[in-house]
Amino acid sequence: MRIWMTGLAILLVIGGALFFAPSPQRTTSITLTFHAKMGDDPLVFDEFLYENPGGPGTFRVRDFRLYLSNLTLSQGEALFAEPDSYHLLRFDNPETTHSIRLNDIPLRNIDHVRFLIGVDPDANGSIQARGDLDPNSQMAWNWEVGYKFVVMEGTLRIGEEVSPLVYHVGFSENAREVDIQLPPDIGSDGNVDLHVNVDVAKLFDGPSQIDLQKLSSVKFNREDAAMLADNYEAMITPSFK
Amino acid sequence: MLRVFLTAAVAGVIAATTWVIWDRVRGPTATPIAGFSAPFVFGRFAVPPDNPLTEEAFALGRHLFYDPILSGNNQVSCATCHVQALAFTDGLAKSPALPGGELEFSSMSLTNLLWGQERFFWDGRATSLEAQALMPIQHPDEMDQDLGELVTELQASRDYRRMFRKAYGEISAENVTRALSTFMRMLISSDSKYDRFLRGKARLSEQEEHGRKLFMAHPDTKVSLRGGNCIDCHSQFLTSGFRDALDGFSNNGLDSDGDLPDGLMAVTGNPAHKGFFKVPTLRNIAVTAPYMHDGRFETLEEVMDHYNDGIVVSDTLSPLILEADNAPEAGQGTVGLRMTPDEVQSIIAFLHTLTDEDFLTNTQFSNPFEGDS
Ligand code: HEC
Ligand code: HEC
Repeated sequence: MRIWMTGLAILLVIGGALFFAPSPQRTTSITLTFHAKMGDDPLVFDEFLYENPGGPGTFRVRDFRLYLSNLTLSQGEALFAEPDSYHLLRFDNPETTHSIRLNDIPLRNIDHVRFLIGVDPDANGSIQARGDLDPNSQMAWNWEVGYKFVVMEGTLRIGEEVSPLVYHVGFSENAREVDIQLPPDIGSDGNVDLHVNVDVAKLFDGPSQIDLQKLSSVKFNREDAAMLADNYEAMITPSFK
Repeated sequence: MLRVFLTAAVAGVIAATTWVIWDRVRGPTATPIAGFSAPFVFGRFAVPPDNPLTEEAFALGRHLFYDPILSGNNQVSCATCHVQALAFTDGLAKSPALPGGELEFSSMSLTNLLWGQERFFWDGRATSLEAQALMPIQHPDEMDQDLGELVTELQASRDYRRMFRKAYGEISAENVTRALSTFMRMLISSDSKYDRFLRGKARLSEQEEHGRKLFMAHPDTKVSLRGGNCIDCHSQFLTSGFRDALDGFSNNGLDSDGDLPDGLMAVTGNPAHKGFFKVPTLRNIAVTAPYMHDGRFETLEEVMDHYNDGIVVSDTLSPLILEADNAPEAGQGTVGLRMTPDEVQSIIAFLHTLTDEDFLTNTQFSNPFEGDS
């Protein structure tokens, strides 16, 4: 009996030590929190609060969402690409935020975060459900066209008149890369907490100024879609505290 | 050292014996449904971990579904309002209420419930099939059954004692809902002409193909793209509402602000959801008339007239419907798709390709108390 107990105790101690020993490869975890904004303020849905940037009237937002894909994190030359990296960012929650957390990335620290607004051509032409890609979802146009990358729907009010706003921007050529450089001191204890603003106003107010009355919808017109894509390219910016 | 091994061996034998005895006592374990597959285009689905799909649960659920023992007066079964030949609807505008009169809503098709929106009923008040199943049983206007009484009645039946033991071990209201849910999850329709077309096993006629294209396109006059925009709400393969969050609910322009029923708002309390209803599957739609939550349309022609030029504007009306217009000049007084009669007929022809005869007559889904089961 004595031998038995001692044996067991030794086993437990060795097992425990192996289990809790710090692994030689240090890893980092990151939380990316996206804050939906209209200009400097948090986005408010379903209220006529916003001025038409290029013309008369006020508008409300009923829906705003976008695909983010091919998230890669790097430290110098070392690179980590999230597998099946397709995230649908939606903000219909009280905080109007969306978080992505990646645990135990095999990097000691992170100095660059890169991703696409939109979906890479390969996945955009496929009906395989990967990550948040779902061909039976609201973001799918149909299998011949692919996915909507950025969706904004709402209503424009001019005087008593209301009219619908529908911006569905897709097509593979309109995926846009975002590259965020992190300040060296952002991580602590292998944890990076990155806050990023997603400014809806930028969709209409960038290289092109858009009058929502004149251009009340963008869907399959390639030039219009590219124009909004050039605007949304600058929509996502880091907010370092 | 030998002692250590001997002790371990004895312990092992004891554990194995206990397991065998315990397994006997708790009754035979249920067998997982084998060879279960669905078209991959249907996408992801989830079965609750505490209610796996098993043959025994399916058989039990099927019996319960067709058995009026579930109702207080032992005259109404689920199948009273969910008839297989009608894709599990009842062919009525509104289902009959137990004390006479009618319910507020039209019966809903029970097809491909594993996919699409995970809330149930027109207003989405049930958050799982398991939660849903108890509602009609207890509802005074539907089956008006006391759950304690139901369990007592089931316990009196040898057949049910046996079936429950095989599937779950014991009879309980919870296990009634589990079995019914398993049966309903297996009501899979995937052999319509459209499915065979997707698998490359059938060709659509020219008219059906034209209708399919229109169904799948949001119109854009700027690039001369004509469309019926159905896909904005009815997903391309499932044809039901979307799964994510509350995306599977919408206001498709049936009523004005003055008459708009609460719909989803009754459940979420959010005024932006007033008049939102569950986007139903369009599979087998040709056999599930009348249409909409209150059965207001008798035919698919009437449904298409609604979408084509009968949209009633309200504050929560989908902007996608309001904006979808095939005519370049502004409409005069009417809101709708303004397609040609030809285009309307093509969409209807496409909707007919969603009928799955195999599903409507599959004997695995039929009344087990009739004929050979
Ligand atoms: C008296 C007629 C009646 C009976 C009996 C009945 N139902 Fe229904 N069922 C309906 C109606 C009407 C609706 C839509 C109700 C609503 O939205 O409030 C419905 C909706 C449903 C739904 C929701 C489907 C969806 O897509 O959201 C399910 C599931 C369902 N019934 C299952 C059952 C089961 C299981 C039983 C038996 C326990 C049953 N029903 C008994 C009339 C009935
Ligand atoms: C904006 C979203 C939306 C669009 C676009 C849309 N539908 Fe619907 N559809 C719904 C909703 C929501 C319902 C249920 C409405 C209710 O009963 O209150 C519905 C119901 C139906 C029904 C009745 C189903 C039943 O079981 O009673 C049919 C048929 C139908 N739609 C066909 C179509 C077709 C065909 C198109 C394209 C021409 C289309 N829908 C476009 C949202 C939509």
